[in-house]
Amino acid sequence: MKPFTAFAAVCSFFLSTSTVVCAESSFKPPQTFKNANLVRNTNLEKGYVRETVNIVVENVDKEPQSTYYLSFPSDVFDKVGGLEVRDRKAPENGPFAVDVVSAESTSDVHYVAVDLPQPLAPKSQITLGISYYLLNSLTPRPAAINQADKQYLAYSFSAYLHSAYPTVTQKTRLKLPSTNVPDYTTTNGLKSGADPERQGTTYTYGPYDTAEVAPGTTYPITLRYEFTKPVITASLLERDLEVSHWGGNLATEERYWLRNNGSNLVNQFSRVEWTLTNFQQLPSSAIRELKYPLKPGAVDPYFIDDIGNVSTSRYRPGRSPKREGSLELKPRFPVFGGWNYSFRIGWNDNLSNFLRRVAGADTYVLKVPFLEGPKVPEGVQYEKVVVRVVLPEGARNVRYETIHGASNNGLPPVDQIQSHVSPHKTFMDTLGRTALTLTAENLSDEARDAQLVITYEYSFWDGMRKPITITAGLLTVFAAAWAIGNIDVSIKKR
Amino acid sequence: MADTPVDALLKGNTGRNTRGLLRIIILTTIAAAAVSSRLFSVIRFESIIHEFDPWFNFRATKYLVQNGFESFWDWFDDRTWHPLGRVTGGTLYPGLMVTSGVIYHILRFLTIPVDIRNICVLLAPACSGLTAFAMYLLTCEMSFSPSAGLLAAAFMGITPGYISRSVAGSYDNEAIAIFLLVFTFFLWIKAVKNGSIMWGALTALFYGYMVSAWGGYVFITNLIPLHVFVLLCMGRYSTRLYISYTTWYALGTLASMQIPFVGFLPIRNSDHMAALGVFGLIQLVAFAEFVRSFIPGKQFQRLLTAMVIVVFGIAFVGLVVLTVSGVIAPWSGRFYSLWDTGYAKIHIPIIASVSEHQPTAWPAFFFDLNLLIWLFPAGVYMCFRDLKDEHVFVIIYAVLASYFAGVMVRLMLTLTPIVCVAAALALSSILDTYVFASRGPNPKIKASEDASTEALRSTRNPDVGISSYISKAVVTSSVVIYLLMFVAHCTWVTSNAYSSPSVVLASRMPDGSQFIIDDYREAYYWLRQNTPDNAKIMSWWDYGYQIGGMADRPTLVDNNTWNNTHIATVGKAMSSREEVSYPILRQHDVDYVLVVFGGLLGYSGDDINKFLWMVRIAEGIWPDEVKERDYFTARGEYRVDDEATPAMRNSLMYKMSYHNFNSLFQMGQAVDRVRGSRLPAEGPQLSTLEEAFTSENWIIRIYKVKDLDNLGRDHSNAAAFERGHKRKRATKRRGPRVLRTE
Repeated sequence: MKPFTAFAAVCSFFLSTSTVVCAESSFKPPQTFKNANLVRNTNLEKGYVRETVNIVVENVDKEPQSTYYLSFPSDVFDKVGGLEVRDRKAPENGPFAVDVVSAESTSDVHYVAVDLPQPLAPKSQITLGISYYLLNSLTPRPAAINQADKQYLAYSFSAYLHSAYPTVTQKTRLKLPSTNVPDYTTTNGLKSGADPERQGTTYTYGPYDTAEVAPGTTYPITLRYEFTKPVITASLLERDLEVSHWGGNLATEERYWLRNNGSNLVNQFSRVEWTLTNFQQLPSSAIRELKYPLKPGAVDPYFIDDIGNVSTSRYRPGRSPKREGSLELKPRFPVFGGWNYSFRIGWNDNLSNFLRRVAGADTYVLKVPFLEGPKVPEGVQYEKVVVRVVLPEGARNVRYETIHGASNNGLPPVDQIQSHVSPHKTFMDTLGRTALTLTAENLSDEARDAQLVITYEYSFWDGMRKPITITAGLLTVFAAAWAIGNIDVSIKKR
Repeated sequence: MADTPVDALLKGNTGRNTRGLLRIIILTTIAAAAVSSRLFSVIRFESIIHEFDPWFNFRATKYLVQNGFESFWDWFDDRTWHPLGRVTGGTLYPGLMVTSGVIYHILRFLTIPVDIRNICVLLAPACSGLTAFAMYLLTCEMSFSPSAGLLAAAFMGITPGYISRSVAGSYDNEAIAIFLLVFTFFLWIKAVKNGSIMWGALTALFYGYMVSAWGGYVFITNLIPLHVFVLLCMGRYSTRLYISYTTWYALGTLASMQIPFVGFLPIRNSDHMAALGVFGLIQLVAFAEFVRSFIPGKQFQRLLTAMVIVVFGIAFVGLVVLTVSGVIAPWSGRFYSLWDTGYAKIHIPIIASVSEHQPTAWPAFFFDLNLLIWLFPAGVYMCFRDLKDEHVFVIIYAVLASYFAGVMVRLMLTLTPIVCVAAALALSSILDTYVFASRGPNPKIKASEDASTEALRSTRNPDVGISSYISKAVVTSSVVIYLLMFVAHCTWVTSNAYSSPSVVLASRMPDGSQFIIDDYREAYYWLRQNTPDNAKIMSWWDYGYQIGGMADRPTLVDNNTWNNTHIATVGKAMSSREEVSYPILRQHDVDYVLVVFGGLLGYSGDDINKFLWMVRIAEGIWPDEVKERDYFTARGEYRVDDEATPAMRNSLMYKMSYHNFNSLFQMGQAVDRVRGSRLPAEGPQLSTLEEAFTSENWIIRIYKVKDLDNLGRDHSNAAAFERGHKRKRATKRRGPRVLRTE
């Protein structure tokens, strides 16, 4: 019954908070807050940037305030995914509602309104934990390397976090994947002492005293660090989940359009060199293999692309009922920087692990992962994800929610997921099945554990529709055949 | 004798029903066996289109399904034969694609989402089930024994001669055409027997379908007239024959002319003249028969002789004049090669270069037909015993098809149906004799009957048949053993010889598990994913259809081979020095060159082994520039090692095959495992091309054609400079990289 409580909590939560903030293009948030302290943690261990910003916010207005505005430069804003704001002191209370302040796309700064559940009294403080990730913001430098060379990524950001409010002190802590950092910006005059401070793979810029610095000031910083791993990017992921009540089956199919955003090859691909690299097990910037964990009990996996089965895959089913199976996908060729690889995989699951019937009603609750995807240390970023849940024919009153746990689930706020319900006609359907399509942009494999809960109504007679139709159809055919067979069309005299 | 329950089932009206039901069950089982024995490759590998030509048919079917019939009819394909393009809609036999398209749309109408690929893969097995059924019908027309039809159906279902062209995934014209061939012949026999316009028209209808499906329709076009001609010569003219032939010819010719690729061939091409001639002849004979009923015998005889001479003379002169003046096309080259097996090798190397156009080796007959091949003459002999019209057909078919099967490997396919018919006739008569003739009366009971009825001995049926249980048992059991061995042989051949997709190669790991070599698809998919959409790929024509189907990139030449000169151009580019080849590549906008190299793995079907055909075909067009002799050593050997001729070692094909191959081995240890020869210590140097991709086992190697040099040097100079430059630079350590900051 655990999903139900979570689901109910989510329902009530979203009912209470949903407002769309509209503003004209030259929107300026009122200066009602001050950032007393700001710590930004940037994690660069994966092929995309993960940031967690903790801000101690203080109300400097005379009235209690309930709307805090986050600000992003527009070039950054297009890359932000999985934005979530929580009370740092009580993360288990779930994320706050956030609304993008709709503004012209040409404007330099985008604002996101955070609705605090309780208005913040004057002079009092709250610690906001803001977490998000940035896609496509790491650039390979040099842009083209030799096949066996090390790959370096460069990350540029501003020493001062972009904020709508004045900030008293701030610092940025960067976690790098390796100690090999050939270039990084050293600041001077921003603070006393060496800046940045290095400790292993951690680089710390600041703390800076920025009480006097106007909001929106930037101080560019660039780091270039070794990342001899592929930068895996899915420009599109289409994910189909098909529910079959008759078969007791949940069929999943995923179609990937992958790209490696790492450094291109200076020369063309050399098989000799690649054989050598593989033989010595050296790290490489090419995608060699993707490990895809499957839920316990997953059966019949397949891995195909446009021209058939990819024979290099392997499936290790989870032996005990609780262990995950592992699908090891090896692309047909190593995917180097700038190369593409598109494929599809699919498998079947037992529906009873995902579907519950509400006692005494024709209502069903389906809980499925929003996103699965390969689990690799270098991470995967998804530019666009289209999830389509195909419910049985005749399912009505479809509603969906995403579940939030104690930490960021990696999904964008619900109002940023586009959804529509359309009929999907297949396998001798008469009306067509109810298909719920959800489209989200800028996701990453942080959202692997995010759950999607769908409720729908489905009666006994909906289930009997197809057998009755087919029986009637066959009877019609037989009757017609019998009637035609009885007609005498001979031209001889009777 | 009291009726046992079994007898009640086998006698009288119920017996007829039971036998009918049994027959249906047996036929269904045969069809199921026919389909399932063709699924080896699907089970062992996957549902995939095989070999070369099927990839084009598959691509065309996809085009048909996506764009509709109208645009398929008008399809001009600019992604093949670059820069010429191909009028695909008008130069193919659409029957196969249209059949799959219709099946696809029916299934879509029933909202059954079957992928078009699966329809294409499984079309051939499905048709083989139908062929078995058509075979049953055909053989039943030949014999009164019900077992003959069932035996023929079973033979047709599993004989390797037919399976070779109809395994799942072998999506070629023959897949559907053999069914149409057999069924058309059945309808023809039915028409001749009944003299019915309906059967004649049905024959024409299926003949039209056959024309739309396979170029082998010419076989029917000549066999039916020949049958009629022989019957006429035997003095067996009848109104039945007249009605069925004229109906078939008139409607069938009209139907065949609806296919754009055939068009006016039926009245202009020599291949079709026999049908026209016999059509004329049968009119004359009919007229003569008509006249004879009015004129006394003596005068008629004279009139007939005069008429025959005059008409024959006029027809012959007319044919010669029309042929010389060019109204009637002379015999096509492929046709000549049917009469003279050496013809193609001299005049049209491109036809001779195809392995399936080679003359058949004798063991192939036994390999493909097993016990049927020695039952075949017996069956034909039995047709002579009661020589009805349909038996004449079997004899003619048998003679013609045996000859053709001896000339060309792939025509084994047309021989197979008649072998099945003849063998079934022979075997069923053995079985009937030894199994059922035992119903002859028991001597003891018979003696008592004799006494009581007191009939004359001579009026009694003579005691024919084998009554000894031992001889019955021996013969029956040996037949059963033969049949079991036949089944085992067919299964073995199908599984081992005919079920490889040839796109995917399989080998065994040391521990016995299957290891799949998937280099073709690896390279084709790389091309598909990582080259521009309109990058032109040059390869030898064998791979044209596969590149078009799997890599989806424009090609220069493909398996259609309609333009010999264009193929020769590619052959010249492959067989010439780089300085000669590069301008050819530039002129044809070639971006990538693809070669197949088996030297690392020992894969013998590679381009170096096909290389001599490229040279020969190029020599056919440019005898001054490419000479086959230059590629053989002074002692006439074809070598790739140290003693290879300069022409060989400088050819683009040689360089592309062995480029960088040395670096896999220790110094001087490089070995080509196909040719079994050690390669020169110094590998070939390429200057106008650069290696773009090599598949895991080196089977496919793709080269990118370099752009013109920036400094205006020629490529060999630039490459030499580059090599020298690199050696110097290797000593210099690269300093730390400095980040560019704005």
